[in-house]
Amino acid sequence: MARSAALVLCMDVGFSMSDSAPGLQSSFEEAKKVIRKFVQRQVFAENKDELGLVLFGSDGTKNPLADGGQYQNICVHRHLMIPDFELLKEIQNDVQPGSKQADWLDALVVCMDLLQKETLGKKYERLNIAMLTDLQSPVSDDQLDTIIRNLKRAGITLQFFLPFPVDVEQSGMGGDEAGGDGPGSKPLPHGGKGLTREQQQGLKLVRQIMTSMEEEEGLEEVYTFSSAIERLSIFKRIERRPMAWPCQLTIGSALSIRIVGYKAVTEERIKKTWTVVDAQSHKRDDVKRDTVYCLNDDNETEVTKDDTIQGFRYGSDIVPFSKVDQEQMKYKSEGKSFAVLGFTKQSLIQRHQFMGSQVVKVFAAKDDEHAAVALSALIRALHELEMVAIVRYAYDRRSNPQVGAAFPCIKEKYECLLYVQLPFAEDLRFFSFPSLENNKKFTASAEQLSAVDSLIDSMMLMEEDGGEPQDIFKVNHIPNPQFQRLFQCLQHRALNPNAPLPAMEPWLQAMLERPQVVTARCRTQLQEVRKRFPLTEVVHKKEQKTSADVFGKGNAEEPEAKKSREDEEDEFSVAGIAQGVTAVGSVNPDKDFRALVRQKSIPFGQVCQELTCRMEQLLGTKNPHYYSKCICSIRAFREESVKVGNAEFFNSYLQSLKRSVPDRGLQYFWDSLVHDGVMLISKDEVEGSTVTKEESSQFMTTAEKVEAAAPVDEEDTGDVDDLLDMM
Amino acid sequence: MSTVSENISCANWSNQLSVHAQGDYKYSGRDSLVFLVDASKEMFIKGENGEPTNFDMTMQCVRSVYTSKIISSERDLVALVFYATENSKNPQDSFKNVYVFHDLDSPGAKRVQEVDSLRGEKGAKLAAQMLGSGPTSLGDALWCCSNLYSDIRLRLSHKRLMIFTCRDNPHDGDSGHDLSARTKAGDLKGTGVVIDLMHLVKPGGFDVSLFFCDIISPPEDAEELGLQLEPSDLTASLLHLSLGDGVHVAVGLYVLVRTATKPAPIRLYRTTNEPVNTKTRLFHMQTGTLLLPSDTKRSQVYGNRQIVLEKDEVDELKKFDEPGLFLIGFKPVSRLKLHHHIRPSLFIFPEEEMITGSSCLFTALLRKCSERGVFAVCKYTSRRNTPPRFVALVPQKEELDQNQTQVTPAGFHLIFLPFADDIRTLDVHQSPTANSMQIDKMKEIVQKLRFKYRSDAFENPVLQQHFRNLEALALDMLEAEAIEDLTKPKVDLMDQRLGSLVQEFKDLVYPADYNPEGKTATKRKPAEAGGGAEKKPKVEVSEADLRAHVEKGTLGKLTVPVLKEACKQFGVRTTGTKKQELIDSLTEKLSK
Repeated sequence: MARSAALVLCMDVGFSMSDSAPGLQSSFEEAKKVIRKFVQRQVFAENKDELGLVLFGSDGTKNPLADGGQYQNICVHRHLMIPDFELLKEIQNDVQPGSKQADWLDALVVCMDLLQKETLGKKYERLNIAMLTDLQSPVSDDQLDTIIRNLKRAGITLQFFLPFPVDVEQSGMGGDEAGGDGPGSKPLPHGGKGLTREQQQGLKLVRQIMTSMEEEEGLEEVYTFSSAIERLSIFKRIERRPMAWPCQLTIGSALSIRIVGYKAVTEERIKKTWTVVDAQSHKRDDVKRDTVYCLNDDNETEVTKDDTIQGFRYGSDIVPFSKVDQEQMKYKSEGKSFAVLGFTKQSLIQRHQFMGSQVVKVFAAKDDEHAAVALSALIRALHELEMVAIVRYAYDRRSNPQVGAAFPCIKEKYECLLYVQLPFAEDLRFFSFPSLENNKKFTASAEQLSAVDSLIDSMMLMEEDGGEPQDIFKVNHIPNPQFQRLFQCLQHRALNPNAPLPAMEPWLQAMLERPQVVTARCRTQLQEVRKRFPLTEVVHKKEQKTSADVFGKGNAEEPEAKKSREDEEDEFSVAGIAQGVTAVGSVNPDKDFRALVRQKSIPFGQVCQELTCRMEQLLGTKNPHYYSKCICSIRAFREESVKVGNAEFFNSYLQSLKRSVPDRGLQYFWDSLVHDGVMLISKDEVEGSTVTKEESSQFMTTAEKVEAAAPVDEEDTGDVDDLLDMM
Repeated sequence: MSTVSENISCANWSNQLSVHAQGDYKYSGRDSLVFLVDASKEMFIKGENGEPTNFDMTMQCVRSVYTSKIISSERDLVALVFYATENSKNPQDSFKNVYVFHDLDSPGAKRVQEVDSLRGEKGAKLAAQMLGSGPTSLGDALWCCSNLYSDIRLRLSHKRLMIFTCRDNPHDGDSGHDLSARTKAGDLKGTGVVIDLMHLVKPGGFDVSLFFCDIISPPEDAEELGLQLEPSDLTASLLHLSLGDGVHVAVGLYVLVRTATKPAPIRLYRTTNEPVNTKTRLFHMQTGTLLLPSDTKRSQVYGNRQIVLEKDEVDELKKFDEPGLFLIGFKPVSRLKLHHHIRPSLFIFPEEEMITGSSCLFTALLRKCSERGVFAVCKYTSRRNTPPRFVALVPQKEELDQNQTQVTPAGFHLIFLPFADDIRTLDVHQSPTANSMQIDKMKEIVQKLRFKYRSDAFENPVLQQHFRNLEALALDMLEAEAIEDLTKPKVDLMDQRLGSLVQEFKDLVYPADYNPEGKTATKRKPAEAGGGAEKKPKVEVSEADLRAHVEKGTLGKLTVPVLKEACKQFGVRTTGTKKQELIDSLTEKLSK
C-alpha cells in the first residue's frame, strides 16, 4: 500500500525564463508545457503518487523557510496531494511569469523541506524533485555539500529540465544531450548565442550535484524541455503491480517445490467503466435501471423476479436448476494447485492452441534458496530435454481448473517457468478445408512466387545495422491506441466541456501504420505483385444496392438504353394524364411536377417550390417508405431543371438538403442519392450553373467539414520508454 | 462400414460419434442420425458369461449418443427405429414389422428415459411386450426410414443411418427380400444418406460379405459425406487482407479453438417453468419517466472531475479503421515469442468468392512464408468501432495422415500480439541455480513421467459435471453420474513410477530439516484456531479522516473493507463491490 511516490515539481518563473528568440517559445512556456503534460499523465494514470508544486522567481513569497530576507520569491504553490484537474487549471491560469529572480539552490532546499515534512510518518517508494529552470539566476553554492548530503540521506532523487543539453559545452552547439533525445532537439535558445556566465556556472553545479549523487548515470537524469514534451505526449501505459500467487509445484505426492506465480502478460483493460448518467443533470443517481420479466403471452404479463427461477436447456427440454442447487452440485476444485500431470515434448504443444488470456511466470518462492535450486533443476532439465511439464493449474478454490504447459525459460538474469493454458477437448473444433497446395488452379507460377519472394524481402521488419538485426516494429513497445485515444478525448473534454472531440493525434495514427522506410522500400515489389496476380472483386448482386432495391421499386438499375426508352414512354403517359394537374400532390409528386412544368401555367420557380415543400413533408416523416418517392422527385426535379436550363433552384435545394442531413438523421437517404448518382447540375449541363463537373461530383461524397482539427502537439518519435520512471 | 472388432465398447463408439458432431451448429446445417435396430430373437440372447444381450448393449449405446448429442449439439436430429418386430408402428402403418420408436427429432430428457426403459431385464420384457419379434424385411425398414427423412423440412448437413444387428444374413437367403433391401439402400444413398453397419457379437463371427456389403456405403463415401464441412459455413467473418497500394486478398476468419463455456441459463416462470423474457429499461429516479437512450450520457471521473460524453462519442472513440487486415511487414519466426499470448488464435483461409485470385496469391504467400521461416505482422480491425490490434500470421502447411485425410489444413494462424500495456513489469531477482547433478536427477524424473500429449486428451471437468447434473435433474436420477476428472494428477501411478527418485532428488536439493510445505502451514494455523471471520477487527475511519482523504483524492489508499464500512456509515448506496465503484460513491457523497 505504501508503494506510492512523492514528487515536487520546482519551476523557475523568474523574468529570464520569459525571454525567447523570435519564432521560438520561451523557456517559461516550454517548462509550463512539460508540467502540464506531466500532470495530465499522472491524472489519468490514477496511481497514488502525490505531487507538490513550488515556483521560484515569483513576485510573492510563500514558504515556511522564508525568514528575514532568506528564501525570498519562492512560493509553495501546492502541497503534496494526488494531482487532479484542479491542479491542471491552476497551472493553466495561475502559473504566470514573475518579474523577479530567485536562487535555484534555495528553491531546492524549500522543496526538500516540503518533501521531508509532508512525508513524515508515511512510507513512500520514492521521493523525487524535478527542477525546471534556465539556470540564469545567480546562485550561492556555499551550502552545496550540505545539500547533497541531505539529499542522499533523505533518499531524494533529483531530475533537471533545462532549455539546453547538459553536455552543450563538450559537444559544441546543438549537440544531443545525455538524455538521448534524437531528431527532436531544437536549436539553442537565444539564437544559439551560447550560454551566459550564470548558466555556465549553473551547469557546472548541476553536473556536480548529479554526478555526486548517482555517479556517471546521474547525468542521464538531465533532460531538455523539448525531449520531455515529446515523450510526455504519450499517456502513461497502464501499470499494474503484479500480484504474487504463492503455491506449490507438485510432482506426485512426495515432491513439492515452493513457487510464486505472476501474471506476466495479459490483455490490460481500463480500470474505469462508463457510468450511465442523466443527460441533463449528469447524475448517476437519477438513472434507475429496471429489469422486468414478462411471460411470453399476448399481454406480456409481468412477473416479479422472485417468481422466476433459472433453468438450462437439456436437448429439447428446459431443466429448472436453481442457483442454490447449481452451487451445491457443481464441480468442486480442491483449492489452488500447480500439479504436474506428466512431461511431454515441446514440439507436441501447438503455438496456435494456446488458450486463455494470460501467461504466468513461475519463480521459486522468494528468499527460499532451496526451492530456487529445486525449481532450477526442473527448468534446466526441461530446457535440455526440450520438454514441458503438463500441469493442472487452479488459481484458488473458487476458480475452474485448467490444464496447461509450463515451458522452461532461461534468461540472462533469471530463470522461470512460463505457464500457458491449453485447450480442453470441448474447446477444439475439427474442420477440414479444401487443399490449397494440390489445387492446380491456385498454384502460383515461378514468376509469381519470385514476386512474392522479393515482396517479403522488401517488407522485412528487421534492419541489419551492421551487427545484430534490429526489429523496427516492436508491437510490444506500442502503447494500446485505444487507451491513448480515450485519454486524449477525456482530457480534451474535461478541459473543454463544450467542444467536440478532437481528431486523432497524428503520432498515434503514424504509430499504427507500416514504417515509412518499409513503405518506400516495397513500392516497386508491390506493383510487381499487382501485375503478376490478377485479383478481381466479385460484385454480388446483393451488394449492388440501389435506392430502388432498398425501397422496393424495381426499374432503377436497368441497362441504360432500355431505361431511357422507358423514360420516354413514361413521359408520354405523363403528358397524357397531365390534364387536370394543378398542384404537386403527395401520391405521385414526381409526375405531378413534370406535368406542371410541361403545362407552363405556373412559373418554374413556383413549381419547384411546391415540389420541395412536398419532399420536405415526406422526408419529415422519416419513413424510408417515402424515401423512394423523394428520390424519384429529386430525379425529376433535376431532369426538368436541366431541360429548362435552370440550375439555380435544384442546386440550392440540394445544398440545403445536404446541410440538414446530420441534424435530421437523413444519412441513409443521402447515401441512396449518392448511390443513384444524383449530383449538382454542373456548368457542362446548364450554362448558368456556378459549379464545375468536378465540384459537383465531389460535393456528394465529401462530408461537411465538421470542425477545424484541434491543435496538435508536436510529432512524437514514438518512444514509449516511460518518462515517468525518469521523474 | 464399421470394421469394428467384435467386442467394441459402446462408450468408445459413442465418443467417436460425438467427435464427428463437433461442428458448430451455428454455422452448419443440422446433423441427423437414424438408429435402425434389429429386434429379432437373436438380439435378446444373453452372452455366455452373463454378458449383456446385444439388444441391451445397443440401447446403452443409443442412450450415450442421445446424451452426448444433447450436450454437444442439441439441435441435431436423432431417430430410433426397430425392424423385425412383431408389432408395427409407423406413419400410416404402411410397413409391417417396422416400429418407429422415436421419429427424427432433437433428443430430450423424455427420450433418454424411454430408451432407458428398454435397458436391462425389465427392458427386455418391455421390448418383448411392446415390439415383439417377427419376420424381417430390411427393405421395408429402409423405406420407412427414408420416409422419416422426407418429412423433415430443415436443412440437414449430414444424414447417417446406422444398422445394429447380429444377423449377417437377415432374410435367410430370400433373394426377393435381399433385392428389395438393396434397392431401398441404393435409393437412400442416392439422397445423400450414409448407411453404416454396427455388427454385434455373433457366434461364429459376422460375415459382412454375405449380404451387408451391398447395403452399406463404401468407406470413401463415408469420409466425404461424414466429415467434410464446407468452410464457408463456419466462417466467423470475411475480410480483406490488404498488402498495400490497393492489393487486396479476400480471406475468411475461422475459429478452430475457443473456450467452451456453460450455456447461459434461461429464466423461467416458477409456477409453469416456461421461459420469460427479460427487458431492461432505464427510468428517471425522481420523475419516474422512461429514459430513452438519448436521455442519458456516459460519464467517468478522473482527477476529481466528472467527464461526460454522448453515447455516440463513446463508440466513436473506438473507431480507428475499417474492418480488415492490413499487412505491415514480415519477421523471422524466432521473433514470435512464447509469451506473446493474450487470446486464443484464429485461422484464415482465402475466400475466392469475394475476390477471385485470392487463393493463388494467398497460397504463394503461404508457401514463401513457410519456406523462409517468416511470419507476417498485420494490423487487425475485427469490426467497425473496434480498436485495432496487431497480429502475427503464422503459416501452416497442410498435413495428411496415412489415410490421406487432412490433419491440419493449409492457412495462416492468426496470433494476437500484446501491446506495451499488456506486458507487466515483474521484479525479478537472481537466485541460486542447480548444479549438473541435481539437473541430471531431475531429468530422470522427467523421463519417468513422459507421455505423449494430445490436445483432445483432457475434458473440462467443470463442464462435464454441469451436464451430468442437468442430465440427472432432467432424467429424475437420484444422483448425477460421477465424472472422471482428467485434470487431476494420477498421484499413485506417478509415485510408483518414480520410486526412490524423489527421495534421491530431495536429498540433493533440500537440507534434511527443510519442509517445502512448512512456512505456509504455520501462517494458516492461527486463523483456523481462532474461528475465522469473527476475529476480523472492525474497521472504521472517522468522518474527518474520510473527508481529508476525499479532498486529497487519497481514498484509494484505504482498503476495500474500510471503504465498505465507510459506505455503510454514511448510508451510501453501493451496488458494486469494486474498489473504484466504492470510491466513486463515497466521493460523490462526501464532496456534496
